[in-house]
Amino acid sequence: MSEQKNVLEIRDVAVHFGGNGGLFGKSGAVVKAVNGVTLDIVRGETVALVGESGCGKSTLSNTIVGLQQPVAGSVKIGGEEVVGADRKKLNDIRRKVQMIFQDPALSLDPRSTIGATIGEPLIVRGVAKGKALKERVGALLAQVGLRPEHADRYPHQFSGGQRQRVVIARALALEPDLVICDEPVSALDVSVRAQILNLLVALQKRTGVSYLFVSHDLGVVRHICDRVVVMYLGRFVEIADRDTFFANPKHPYTKALMSAVPEADPEVQRSKERLILGGELPSPANIPSGCAFHTRCPLATEICGRERPELTVRDDGARVACHHA
Amino acid sequence: MEVSPSPLLTVDSLTIDIAGAHVVDDVSFTVAPGRVMALVGESGCGKSLTSYAMLGLLPPAAKRTGGRIMLENTDLACLTERQFRKARGKDISIIFQEPSASLDPLSTVGTQIAEAFRAHHGGSKAEAFEKARQMLVDVGIPDPNRRLHQYPFELSGGMCQRIMISIALICGPRVLVADEPTTALDVTIQAQILDLMKKLVAERGTAIVLITHDMGVVADIADDVAVMYAGRMAEIAPVHALFREPKHPYTALLLASVPKLDHAPKADLATIEGMVPTPSEFGVGCRFHDRCPLSTDKCRSEAPPLFDCGDGHRSACWHIDRMAEIRAVAA
Ligand SMILES: Nc1ncnc2c1ncn2[C@@H]1O[C@H](COP(=O)(O)OP(=O)(O)OP(=O)(O)O)[C@@H](O)[C@H]1O
Ligand SMILES: Nc1ncnc2c1ncn2[C@@H]1O[C@H](COP(=O)(O)OP(=O)(O)OP(=O)(O)O)[C@@H](O)[C@H]1O
Ligand SMILES: [Mg+2]
Ligand SMILES: [Mg+2]
Repeated sequence: MSEQKNVLEIRDVAVHFGGNGGLFGKSGAVVKAVNGVTLDIVRGETVALVGESGCGKSTLSNTIVGLQQPVAGSVKIGGEEVVGADRKKLNDIRRKVQMIFQDPALSLDPRSTIGATIGEPLIVRGVAKGKALKERVGALLAQVGLRPEHADRYPHQFSGGQRQRVVIARALALEPDLVICDEPVSALDVSVRAQILNLLVALQKRTGVSYLFVSHDLGVVRHICDRVVVMYLGRFVEIADRDTFFANPKHPYTKALMSAVPEADPEVQRSKERLILGGELPSPANIPSGCAFHTRCPLATEICGRERPELTVRDDGARVACHHA
Repeated sequence: MEVSPSPLLTVDSLTIDIAGAHVVDDVSFTVAPGRVMALVGESGCGKSLTSYAMLGLLPPAAKRTGGRIMLENTDLACLTERQFRKARGKDISIIFQEPSASLDPLSTVGTQIAEAFRAHHGGSKAEAFEKARQMLVDVGIPDPNRRLHQYPFELSGGMCQRIMISIALICGPRVLVADEPTTALDVTIQAQILDLMKKLVAERGTAIVLITHDMGVVADIADDVAVMYAGRMAEIAPVHALFREPKHPYTALLLASVPKLDHAPKADLATIEGMVPTPSEFGVGCRFHDRCPLSTDKCRSEAPPLFDCGDGHRSACWHIDRMAEIRAVAA
């Protein structure tokens, strides 16, 4: 495989918080939010990142776009190293990668009209100005199901889902090579969500953009992603192609996740057996020895508390970190 | 037919205006103690404004211009700000849609939960912190002692959402308004939060208004479902009836846009053609008419009332008898 085919190359990335006696490090505990992960994304590919709340998905996303410094590892976008890059270099790299943040309230400037917000990257990169800019912004708004005349409104004048669509429009404005989407559609109703997913797929077919798609919605993941990565307490525990993943999930955590997906049918949903995870929820400041999942795992044996399983390749190509799966 | 207990919460003909347009228009529903009412509908249809009105938290641009919101015999809409402050948290409380916008970035999450408790129950700080700690256990946040002393930015999105949930629940409200409470949570933790809500409903008779886009969540926990479109009530029904036999074209098309398990990956998903009208474009007719496969001249010129179809099922459509055609389109 040639180097250029990989839009994103992550190698052994680790991100820790606290423990340095800083202002908020009072408790002294080091939180190992991301704990050595490796992943490539090729051009035109969509990779889903799923996992328990707090397992490190947003931290990894922030690290990829250079908003968070890792303590170890390398992140390359289009072959360019992000880690340790100076401001100018980062600026160049950011032309190729965009991020849709988890919480739209945090990523929109309350004092700018949304037209200005969406237009800003176009102006900064010299893509358009004047009348052409206005038209381009209007077209972007229409693509996400909003209206050109909404350009003069401020973020607070929109509903939550409308704000999220503004964030999406801005991320797509420059037709980037890679978009990191952190829960991009969870604030949207199913019909608008379908419209946005169709847009993301159409854009991918046209421009070959790649997506890293953080989502809790396995229905959406199944629809839009080519590959699925499951994260648990800072590490990847399962990586597989979509069809393999959904036909034959292997890691016990993945299975628990699948069994908890609520089905849009009250009859089915209320009679369903759920795989309930027992045990204490472990803290990322005090990750269990061996396999981090062993404290809650139905398959756990003595070796699991002692030895951390590495990701190993299975017959169908899936890679799984489990002694027993 | 079961006799439903008298409602704890009654929203009666609620109308909210922004810039002269009815962004919430004549919306009515009731919730009995121990029941869960799901409020669903297109992004921007007025779900959050409806819920803010229940707590006296409408943004300055929005005005309630009609209707009542009754908590038993008290009209919430007539409370003064001071009376509202007394009611909020204890009688009625809200989990906001965007946690980061509603948590104080400069105060630890433990302090925020404890203050919510002390606002109604007084008592010592230590006692309130112990309550807060227990709350974090209930919402599934590991290592609560450490978490209590952290600031919102040190927590993940889903943890912040669970802090919001803790603040809303700490005083044991009789009515809980939950605006997208689980969007940032993975399905296993979401299931845990839904179980917690079910427990409140079963053990304390809490009445819940749950705003959500997740039809799986609706299917799991709701007793009744109210579907809004462009500020109006489109359909309201017991949950099984709504899923089995929707009686409003919008509901049927909405249910059809949920990705099916046998849907080819990346193939176009069903959407509803066209766009929701903006408040300035609301005409005199049915607000869904220009996107509706069943629409006729009558739909353009006259707004349908909410027809009673029996068994608690009501729909605002002139063509309820033609719903079979929609099911054909949607399939
Ligand atoms: N402060 C405001 N000023 C002007 N318009 C507003 C304001 N707040 C809300 N709106 C408009 O009122 C309508 C209803 O908004 P609301 O937030 O209730 O929608 P929602 O149903 O909660 O949507 P979502 O599912 O996207 O959260 C929207 O069209 C929105 O643009
Ligand atoms: N700035 C920070 N300071 C200290 N700890 C942090 C910081 N940011 C994140 N963490 C911690 O790192 C861990 C991973 O958080 P992250 O936000 O990456 O989770 P996530 O997988 O995105 O979760 P969610 O699905 O809830 O959004 C959590 O334990 C969190 O508390
Ligand atoms: Mg996150
Ligand atoms: Mg809302």
